[in-house]
Amino acid sequence: MFANHPAAGVKRNRYVYLIGLVVMAVWPWLPINGFYVFLAQTFFYTAIAVIGLNLLLGLSGQMSLGQAGFYALGAYGSALTALKLGWPLPLSILFGTVIAAVGGALVGVFALRTRGLYLAMTTLAVGYVLDILAQRWVGLTGGTMGLMGIPQFENMSWIPAPTILFYLSGLALLFVQLIADYINDTRAGRNLRAIRESEVFAASVGVNVSRWKAVIFGFAAALAGLGGTFFAHQSGYVGSDAFSVRLSVALLIAAVVGGLGTKSGPLLGTLILLGIVELIAGIDKYGLLVYGSILLVVLLAFPKGAAGILDDLLAKLGRKPDPSRSESLAHHDLTANQAKAMLTRLHNDSTSISIKGISKSYSGLKAVDQVSIEVASGRVHGLIGPNGAGKSTVINMVAGIYQPDEGSVYLGSENLSGKDVATRARMGMARTFQNLQLIEGVSVLDNVLLGVQSQHGLGRNFLKWLLGQPIEVGERRLAMEILAFFGIDHLADRTPSELPYGHRKLLELARAIAQQPRVLLLDEPIAGMNAQEAKEIANVIQRLKDSGMTILLVEHNMEFVMSVCDRISVLNFGKLIAEGTPAEVQADPEVITAYLGTGAQS
Amino acid sequence: MQLTNLIQLVSGGLAMGAIYVIVALGLYITHLTTHKVNFGQGDFLMVGTFVMLATRAAGLPLIVCVLLTLLVLAVMGWLLDRIAIRPLERKKTLKIGAFSWILTTAGIALIVQNVIEILFGKTSQYSPPLFSSQRDHVIQVMGAGLFLEEILIIFAAAIIVFMFYGFMFHTKWGKSIQAVAFNPEAAQLLGINMQLVKVGVFVLASILAAVGGILIGPLVTINPHMGLVFTIKALIVAAIGGFANPVGILVGGILFGVFESASNYIDSSFGDLYPLLAALLIIAIKPSGLFSERQADVR
Repeated sequence: MFANHPAAGVKRNRYVYLIGLVVMAVWPWLPINGFYVFLAQTFFYTAIAVIGLNLLLGLSGQMSLGQAGFYALGAYGSALTALKLGWPLPLSILFGTVIAAVGGALVGVFALRTRGLYLAMTTLAVGYVLDILAQRWVGLTGGTMGLMGIPQFENMSWIPAPTILFYLSGLALLFVQLIADYINDTRAGRNLRAIRESEVFAASVGVNVSRWKAVIFGFAAALAGLGGTFFAHQSGYVGSDAFSVRLSVALLIAAVVGGLGTKSGPLLGTLILLGIVELIAGIDKYGLLVYGSILLVVLLAFPKGAAGILDDLLAKLGRKPDPSRSESLAHHDLTANQAKAMLTRLHNDSTSISIKGISKSYSGLKAVDQVSIEVASGRVHGLIGPNGAGKSTVINMVAGIYQPDEGSVYLGSENLSGKDVATRARMGMARTFQNLQLIEGVSVLDNVLLGVQSQHGLGRNFLKWLLGQPIEVGERRLAMEILAFFGIDHLADRTPSELPYGHRKLLELARAIAQQPRVLLLDEPIAGMNAQEAKEIANVIQRLKDSGMTILLVEHNMEFVMSVCDRISVLNFGKLIAEGTPAEVQADPEVITAYLGTGAQS
Repeated sequence: MQLTNLIQLVSGGLAMGAIYVIVALGLYITHLTTHKVNFGQGDFLMVGTFVMLATRAAGLPLIVCVLLTLLVLAVMGWLLDRIAIRPLERKKTLKIGAFSWILTTAGIALIVQNVIEILFGKTSQYSPPLFSSQRDHVIQVMGAGLFLEEILIIFAAAIIVFMFYGFMFHTKWGKSIQAVAFNPEAAQLLGINMQLVKVGVFVLASILAAVGGILIGPLVTINPHMGLVFTIKALIVAAIGGFANPVGILVGGILFGVFESASNYIDSSFGDLYPLLAALLIIAIKPSGLFSERQADVR
């Protein structure tokens, strides 16, 4: 639980969770002050909200400045149903959580359409609106005077009431932490991280970005709401003052201080936050100053947070934070046979790309004009042209990032018009990017796994994972095989940032192949490479071609294009000016003119 | 509703709307060049109102007070870039990477709030009027009693917005900013000092917040925590203009101010929320704002 790196493929011990459970079981019975039970309750429900925020911000890169609003929805949802309608607490807590989730999903509608700055702004505004409503809708919320006499848990024979809330919130936290860790370790985590890197990138590996964003937003809101429900029943009093933007900031501080995107970060961060709250209770005058300074100092000086620092410390002490994950695979003989078998299978699925008369204008300027290209199945087709000729626009229309103004793109016999990037990816279109796209901060193997189709449903592996058994074994094996095919399997445990540029490009190709595509789009595959690295890529493309892959590639380097392509299309000023074999194109006078210009009035 | 009421509402709405426009233009100009904005823009406005309050209470002439306020906020803008924006550029590997500036600028906002609170106390205060002799000097326009101060603030705001557009589109500085926004590398090759432009826009944005603060002081009661709502409204007004269209911001800000004024009149308890919700709805339906084309994210 306190490890930074996900290690899903290996047997992991689960003692940490058990220890947590045991400590939780005995804590209320220790000869300690009742205040510490209260404090522990506060820790539990705050940490639940922070875990949600960490999944949202740390894992998926979606900023929320309004978590206090969802926390308030949960608190009032549960408090009011219990107080005014007399609902039993378990039901009211469930209701509060659901209300918060619905609120989050509604805001998620914004999240679907906007990103970054807009999302931060929207959540800030929504949090503000909810805060104002809590303050002013006195008939419902009691405003700043608050709601009194909210039902609390009652003593059950020998278990005192505070202990019941302690156990319930504690078990809820344990469960939430398990779910969060599972998300971190598996496909969901990879998809969310891909969204964090770039939404177009995530869509291009087949992730339904809108749906994932809405779900994770709703989930984070539900967790904030769940935290709020326990808060409401802890002391039987809820005042609107509790839900100002200050709470949103406090939750953010906990997430940031603990370490964004780490598993143990929210727990550490919440501990630190509660410490700070206790500390500034005496000097409330300087509360905001302390909050603001902590945000600045942590983001500028310790961006990895407490979890990151702890991991670095453990590493320095010679303890690896996680068992090396390739160890479990080391006994496999990586002959890349499985990858080769997969490529043979792909050969049979391989299909053609037909670009039929597509055009695209930007505010009156025709960037692409009536371009038709036929990429035959199993062939490597090059698309070249001077800068600004419209090559990128063409490949982006094929990938589905832009829809053409007229004309259509066909994958085999299927018309792709109106289909989005993710749908095209799932139909068998994989691509690499001009400025390469990888998930930073996770292993090379995980990057390939992002492309590998899951063999089981999301929930299927949960029990196995919980018991510490290896999961996604088939997928991981295939990913290793693909890495072996590209000759970089020895780097499986590294993170992409540790790799030289050429290997990063190979990794991106490996991920694309892992998608088991029917066609492959390569946007400037050797841009920025030295001659040796370019040769390696050319070699790989040759091998992919030998196994029957259909490839459409855009590239500037003539020597490279001429050597790997079967056919070449030449664009100039958005128009197709030549098409043919490399030799034909090279001899075409119009192509020569486009590249070298005409002699003066010759 | 009578015509006189309507005139009063529109006048009040125009005054607030014009101030939202000025503050939002600050967000627009930094977003244009750096794709970042100050999430404490409203708090900077708040500082502006308090510097005015303090300097005027000290008995300094109005023009000196104004210049001092502009100077203080200019320095704050410079510090903001130095402390909360620029250091992040070297930390590309940060987990939330692209958006940590939201939290660092918000952090500065919290600190600023706390400092003003310590210096001036938590209670709401009144700032003396800028132009007229007393706060409630009323003149008659078409039978409606209007605050002279409000009318003059509308004029002042109009002049400032006009000057801003003149600056952006007709001066060398304004053109440098646009050049950096259009293509930073090309701008640099043309001899434009990138770093200077980048810090310059934050200084300019802070000065615009100061102008907003100077103008709004006499219209509302001021307190150290008034900033948040101005941050939110300025962001929303800028978003209505798509963050990229100064004319859209002008229209959006004025509409927002007038709508707010009218809805406050109709529903005094929740009226200020309607324009916020309406604007959020607009942005949800049309994320690019009312007036600009949506650009696809192609990376």
